Amino acid sequence: MDPHSRAFTFVDRIVSFEPASHIVGRYSIPAEIAEFPQSLISEAIGQLAALAAMSAVDFKSRPVAGLAECVELLGTAQPGQTLELSAELASVDGEAVSYSGAAFVDGLPVVRLHHCVGPMVPMAEFADPDVVRGAFAASLQAPGLTGGFTGLPCLLLAPEIIEPGRCHRARWTVPASAPFFADHFPRRPVFPGSLLMHLKLQLAASLVSVLPSPDNRSRWTVRSVNDVKLRAFIPPGESLDLEATLKRHSADAATIFVQSRNNSRIIGGARIELTPALIP
Amino acid sequence: MSNNAITHEEAMAIFPKVAELMADALGRDVEEVKPESSLIDDLGAESIDFLDIIFRLERGFKVKIPRGKIVEEARGDLSEAEFEKAGVVTDAGLQRLKQFLNEVPAERFQSPLHVSDLPRLFTAETFCRMVIREQRAAQAQAPQTA
Repeated sequence: MDPHSRAFTFVDRIVSFEPASHIVGRYSIPAEIAEFPQSLISEAIGQLAALAAMSAVDFKSRPVAGLAECVELLGTAQPGQTLELSAELASVDGEAVSYSGAAFVDGLPVVRLHHCVGPMVPMAEFADPDVVRGAFAASLQAPGLTGGFTGLPCLLLAPEIIEPGRCHRARWTVPASAPFFADHFPRRPVFPGSLLMHLKLQLAASLVSVLPSPDNRSRWTVRSVNDVKLRAFIPPGESLDLEATLKRHSADAATIFVQSRNNSRIIGGARIELTPALIP
Repeated sequence: MSNNAITHEEAMAIFPKVAELMADALGRDVEEVKPESSLIDDLGAESIDFLDIIFRLERGFKVKIPRGKIVEEARGDLSEAEFEKAGVVTDAGLQRLKQFLNEVPAERFQSPLHVSDLPRLFTAETFCRMVIREQRAAQAQAPQTA
């Protein structure tokens, strides 16, 4: 298989699989890349669940990012480490898959997804069903498939401070071309929802950076991203307006709401929950 | 089960909780969600929002709501061919819909009505009734599974 077609694939091997129910997989993060953000760990769990869902409907349709009740960010993964992935499907049919899942590094959970829903779309519009079916079969056999991820392109925002620590905004134009578009998806390039989450976390970090610290021994840390919703496909070249707004702030918790729009249309939203963590 | 077996008062008994869940899903103030609000035309819901609302209702009311169930139940004993032709709801189908979705204001039933436009008819009360139907169905099945 052309490695470029796996430029945004984060499952190398399916270790065990019960159709429409449970799937366990693995991904070796390339050692030579600069970073592997938590948003991509979430993507890896989602991709594993997607494989189980696509198999359940005989690769006639595939899920895309839609809803996540809660993405718990518990730890990080470094280049060179291996992600142990698992997903439990609550339901799957031609319209949607509902699942939860987790990623572990060295036996410790780094990201957990709770109650996610992916709308199913016709597979043939997005990728060749036979190629996807073949990749699934190859992933079931040792040693699995080799990933083609070579690192993220520059996804740096330039936030505009509307009200310091209260409201920060940024305009982001999706690149017209990037290696991940060849894989996400081969027949219809779409900006990945996980990368939109990456940008939203970055904008939230800009807002948090001017918030008073919880105390002199702690700093604000993102614990979870809740009520994540992606309402539309984001094609290459599209411009998005991102806004992060502080909704709640106390001594032991802060909540930031982040939203993305294309003109007046809301493309996505999420609620970011932060708590104090001791500075190491 | 007919929608008519559920009274407006019964639907209103659960409306506050349904409205709260819908408002959360749609990023609206709960006061904006009225029983007669069309989810699409009045509240700006898109297809992903319907999935979101269904899953929130399932968790909020501890019921299982099969997706696509409204249209299937609305069709009742009409065959697919009797209900629609080439994507347009037939006269018989329209009559059946008006009976089943009797909470929807009459002026919203336009003719011709495309099947793809059916979700435009759905109101907040439509979802209250759907929850109650599924609650009743679960209760009816409970002795068999106990």
